[in-house]
Amino acid sequence: MSDFSTRRVREHSGDRRTSPLPRPSIIVLGFLLAALIGLGAYFFPLFQSSTTPVVNSGGGILNPITIAGPTEPFTVLLLGSDDDSKFVADKYNTQSMILVRVDPSTKSVTMLSIPRDLWVPIPEGGMGKISTASQNGGVDAAVSVVESNFHVHVDDYAWIGLEGLIKLIDAMGGVDLEITNPVLDDFYPADINTSSPYSYYRVALMPGAVHLDGVHALQYVRSRHGDLRGDFARSERQQELLLAMKAEAKHLNLADLPDLAQALNGEVKTSMTLQRVQQLFSVLDQYNSANVKRIVLVPPYTSEGWAYGQSVVFPDWNAILPVVRQSFPSS
Amino acid sequence: MTRALTYAVLLVAMIAFGFGVYRAATLLKTDSTHVVKPSATSAPSLPGTLVVAQDGALYRLRDGQFTQITDSAGWTEPAASPDGSQLVAVRRIGNFSDLYLLTSTGRIERQLTHHHAGPAEANHWSFFPRFSADGTQVFYSYDAKVVGSYQVDLAIFAMSLEDGTVVQWTTPNAFTGGDVNPIPLKGGGLIYTKYSIDDQSQVHGQVWFQARPATDGVALTQPADNCGAPAVSADGTLIAMVCRHSDLQSADVVVESLGADGTPGAPKTLVQGQLATAPVFSPDGKTVAFLAPVVPGGAFQLWTVPVDASKAASQARAVTSNVGLDSTAAPVWVG
Repeated sequence: MSDFSTRRVREHSGDRRTSPLPRPSIIVLGFLLAALIGLGAYFFPLFQSSTTPVVNSGGGILNPITIAGPTEPFTVLLLGSDDDSKFVADKYNTQSMILVRVDPSTKSVTMLSIPRDLWVPIPEGGMGKISTASQNGGVDAAVSVVESNFHVHVDDYAWIGLEGLIKLIDAMGGVDLEITNPVLDDFYPADINTSSPYSYYRVALMPGAVHLDGVHALQYVRSRHGDLRGDFARSERQQELLLAMKAEAKHLNLADLPDLAQALNGEVKTSMTLQRVQQLFSVLDQYNSANVKRIVLVPPYTSEGWAYGQSVVFPDWNAILPVVRQSFPSS
Repeated sequence: MTRALTYAVLLVAMIAFGFGVYRAATLLKTDSTHVVKPSATSAPSLPGTLVVAQDGALYRLRDGQFTQITDSAGWTEPAASPDGSQLVAVRRIGNFSDLYLLTSTGRIERQLTHHHAGPAEANHWSFFPRFSADGTQVFYSYDAKVVGSYQVDLAIFAMSLEDGTVVQWTTPNAFTGGDVNPIPLKGGGLIYTKYSIDDQSQVHGQVWFQARPATDGVALTQPADNCGAPAVSADGTLIAMVCRHSDLQSADVVVESLGADGTPGAPKTLVQGQLATAPVFSPDGKTVAFLAPVVPGGAFQLWTVPVDASKAASQARAVTSNVGLDSTAAPVWVG
């Protein structure tokens, strides 16, 4: 090595020894790493969520805006259960069953509420209320009983419990909806976060446009005693809540996802992948109420009666199936 | 030593930067429903005085400033006496609600009803109190029920403030939730909202007129229009209401002239495409205040709109932006 080059090396080494700052690239890298850790901490609930299929989709955090919406119609079965301490874990009835068909090509949504007391053949054997299919066979049995009786294909399902719905709506910041008439119930179950799940309290929701938090939204969709339509009223109101949630979801952005994931941690079961959920969100913007068809199987599609000592709802399949075929044509 | 210090400073700066990124992400969250106490904000000055409810407390708005006039203790649905010196309001606690007479500054003068009972189903509700035009009675919705029955429908009653006698005015349709929003008229009649459920299981709200207690009355609006929440101007010549067509995410504010016999005139739509509710006239009848979110899905704010329909479409304006008012409590507007 020449003297010159030796001197340069020494000078350079001397510079490194005397300058207190690390290389600029190291500094930039450090700040980038810090930013990534900050973002990672913020979005950690997304990965922590136990909504298994969503977590296992492995897709990471995808920006809904950049994801193309689905082009083919798809059908999702929405299921809701009373999952309070009165019930054995994973042996829940499905108190709410709503078939939702989304058709991106026509920008239309169809919602069909299935009465929980609908008297149908249960795939595992015998006749029973459709809500009881999931007691022994879980969500898969609930999907199966709907597919076999309504002759539809269910692409995905999403199940939520009582507390899950409350947390979801609170995480969304509440929902705005129009209460169509006073909802009064003297025997509303006080079965959440209580040691006496068979107790009850009074509910009074006044008519008009309101902003509801999770607890009051649940009261709205769960109360049934004071309404002439009984369970059918609940079905109507559940559809109204879904529309309100759809309207609210339009305002959510990527930064809201961790709160939602945290709220739903362990409260939701779904077959939808994270990408499917995000696709669903991305197409919601394109729909308005005029393109939403709502079906509740009130008489004459059904009639109330008794079977084996139980109050049940008898289906008139000759009336129901043509409507289903028309509204769920690809099924 | 200097080098170690520099590295330490850089490390702290990086940690702070990472925390800043975390905080910045938090700030990007949707904030459409963030609300503050009305008394923590101000509003454009409106003529007269308004009283509104938020989170169980009543607030007075005068000269652009909100003042909290009651504790946050379940207060809602205030109404003013004809001379503006008193309020009647609902205090809702758990399984029951009661009516109270208050001064205009929120001090309790008298408890008018006593609805608390032991078992949940033995309690009662009172809602939507309104003074009669002469100030001697309070009209309100009350659940006169058979205790233990599932049927809980509100009917409209009138209570004398002098001797406490109570008269039932309306008979609700069974299992509809009943009759609400009583507006006693100067001529002695009553306007209110009645609900019905048809053979197709569709719910309809109609604004109803009744001349005397326990009579049938007549519908002022069609079932398909789904109207409710009526308000009558101080001179009794105009009626405002909210009508909802098929869209559950919007409701129109409509104004009509009102004949002496309760006959409405042609409707004029003042507000369209908003989730509007709880209209009320200004004392001079030239403006309607109502509640609606400023952004879809947001909390309810106070709005005003001129009654002159030719100006209305472009002149509806939000008076507040972040207070999140109780939308079941129509604002009170006195001179």
